[in-house]
Amino acid sequence: MTDKDFDLSRRSFIDRVLMATAGAGMAAAAPWASAAVGAAPVAKGDRVRLGVIGTGDRGRGLIQNIAKTRNCTVAAICDNFELHLAKGRALVDASTRAFTDHRAMLDAGGLDAVVIATPLDLHKQQSFDAFDAGLHVWCEKAMARTIDDCGAMVKKSQDSGKVLQIGHQRMFKPTYLNAVRRAKEGEIGSLTQIRASWHRQSSWRRPVPAGATDRQINWRLYRDSSAGLMTELATHQIQVSNLFFDAVPTRVMGSGSICFWKDGREVYDHVALIYEYAGGRKLIYTSLLNNARYGCEEQIQGSKGTIEPELGRIYKELPPKELALLRMQADVASGKKRAVPIGGATWFAELPVTTPGEPLGWGEYDETMLQFEGFGEAVRTGKPLPGLLSQAYHASVASLLGEQAMDSGQILAWPTSLVAI
Amino acid sequence: MADVVRFASMGTRVELHRFGAGDDDALTAAQRAIEAVDDALTIHRPSATTALNERLMAGQGAAIDDALLFEALVTIEELHASTLGLFDPAADRRFASAGWSAIAFDRNSARIEVSMPVALDFGGFGKGFALDRACAVLREKGVVSACLSAGESSIAVVGEHPLGGGWPFAIAHPLRPDEILVEIELTDESVSISSTVGAGANAPERAAMIRPTDASIVSAPRCTVAVDRLGAHAEAMSTALLVADEDQAERLLNGDRTRRFLFDFPRGAAILDQSARMSFND
Repeated sequence: MTDKDFDLSRRSFIDRVLMATAGAGMAAAAPWASAAVGAAPVAKGDRVRLGVIGTGDRGRGLIQNIAKTRNCTVAAICDNFELHLAKGRALVDASTRAFTDHRAMLDAGGLDAVVIATPLDLHKQQSFDAFDAGLHVWCEKAMARTIDDCGAMVKKSQDSGKVLQIGHQRMFKPTYLNAVRRAKEGEIGSLTQIRASWHRQSSWRRPVPAGATDRQINWRLYRDSSAGLMTELATHQIQVSNLFFDAVPTRVMGSGSICFWKDGREVYDHVALIYEYAGGRKLIYTSLLNNARYGCEEQIQGSKGTIEPELGRIYKELPPKELALLRMQADVASGKKRAVPIGGATWFAELPVTTPGEPLGWGEYDETMLQFEGFGEAVRTGKPLPGLLSQAYHASVASLLGEQAMDSGQILAWPTSLVAI
Repeated sequence: MADVVRFASMGTRVELHRFGAGDDDALTAAQRAIEAVDDALTIHRPSATTALNERLMAGQGAAIDDALLFEALVTIEELHASTLGLFDPAADRRFASAGWSAIAFDRNSARIEVSMPVALDFGGFGKGFALDRACAVLREKGVVSACLSAGESSIAVVGEHPLGGGWPFAIAHPLRPDEILVEIELTDESVSISSTVGAGANAPERAAMIRPTDASIVSAPRCTVAVDRLGAHAEAMSTALLVADEDQAERLLNGDRTRRFLFDFPRGAAILDQSARMSFND
């Protein structure tokens, strides 16, 4: 792809975000998106200098996306596992500094912000260290291993006056933003339920290379370092639910089990939860690792229709045709007048009519790049993208609360002692 | 020219058929009118009515701020009286004494008070009320010939049939769809059909018909038909006839035997009138 083609792809993407976020309602619902697209391009020497902590699969993906932004650059990388660090080096200029300890990277200076793509249990300490070094922080979701640690990260960000942004790319995806806009305009009526699932056919267990430990590579499978499906997958979809309902849950109940992959892992491979929202609205969530038939989707269900943003489709609740009255139309057209039979059923079977969605299409530019351009602008101005941190904080809290509900078998109320944003 | 819109509202399918003259946006405006009533009167999602019911079920009074809900309550108060108290959207099978009689509605202050916990369920009345508003919109938009259906049991027509004269309808036997109970013609009128038997009565989540006098479920096989200038009135009358005892039915049918009908099934039920009240073998 040429630079010109990439610019066109970027322009097209930005246009879709702008169209999706136009109007006062969306400005209030997703203010971060319109702020991110307003990020100004910056000359290469003036770009926001990022130090990437963690160059595993996710970290390397982020490095590639950052390289395509117009206001950020990777100035340093860090990983305590040599194989990952070597793979990270291959993606950056030879002059980019590489470290095996994040504190050494912070001490070396020359950074404006860090990008954290490490196991969940390390997020809090690494972000604290970065804030103490006077840097801004972009951190992969979920925020932290415990609800208290999530709050501590928010508080530390506030106290230090530095930006904390959490990676939730759906919040920048035109399909989702457009779906929120259409839902807010009443196109699918009153939203009462969201069914969300993330089903995979995968053990989630990775081979352990020489020189690494199982807990280092498969940290997602162990309780000390992960809440498993809840913090790795559910947090994305709970955030989507909060966004559509424009609320946080009031309470959560659930059941989790290690049902299929009995390989020594500690986290559930099956989770099923109900998050209740005010007014009786519900998010019904399932995630599992041995059946991918229904994949990843959120079904936003309203009184007049359903939106499935992952598929980019909307389904309207159109009733079947009334045959007797249809015949009347034909009679009139042919000049015939006869009695219309009526009476009987006053209900109708649920036969939803599907309509094509709005395909997003694929381009070289995507939402991950946009969220980094938004972060770059936030660092440059010292002002966080509005509304984004509270979305991430509440999604992380909800995912961890769900874990607690499953572990305890109790219905748990939304915490009342969260940090105010 | 003929055109039609179909949509889901009032818990059923709604069809609006327009023939001939009228503004281009007439059907859209009529649809909006029906949806506005649905939004105000529904008890199946948050609405002005559910908010009111929360207060009434707590035994508390409430101010009626919603204009549509207020108009509906004014109409209901009148219809409750004109149907011998048999049309009662506050009847509740859980509480024998619950009903409109427990409600004091002051239309001057737009305030409602209750003497015991009650809840309103507008049911079929809402459909007729919505069709009335849609008909009014169509007339304002210059439509002279239209047929509106909310399910198969609530029909309203504007003006005459596009080929002239009244709109002919054949009311089907609820248990034998190939048989016709009665044929009627409508001009600027509405018809409501109520039944305790048939596919509609057996539909999932269909609420049982409650007799306001003793809060019992009306189980006797019966079908009623009422025609009126207004759909809300037709709905109230067909409902009242469905729960009426013999004396009450006779008094209601005497009001207009050419526009009100009652059919009991099977044979054996009392036959009070040869023209307006009929009996069928089951």
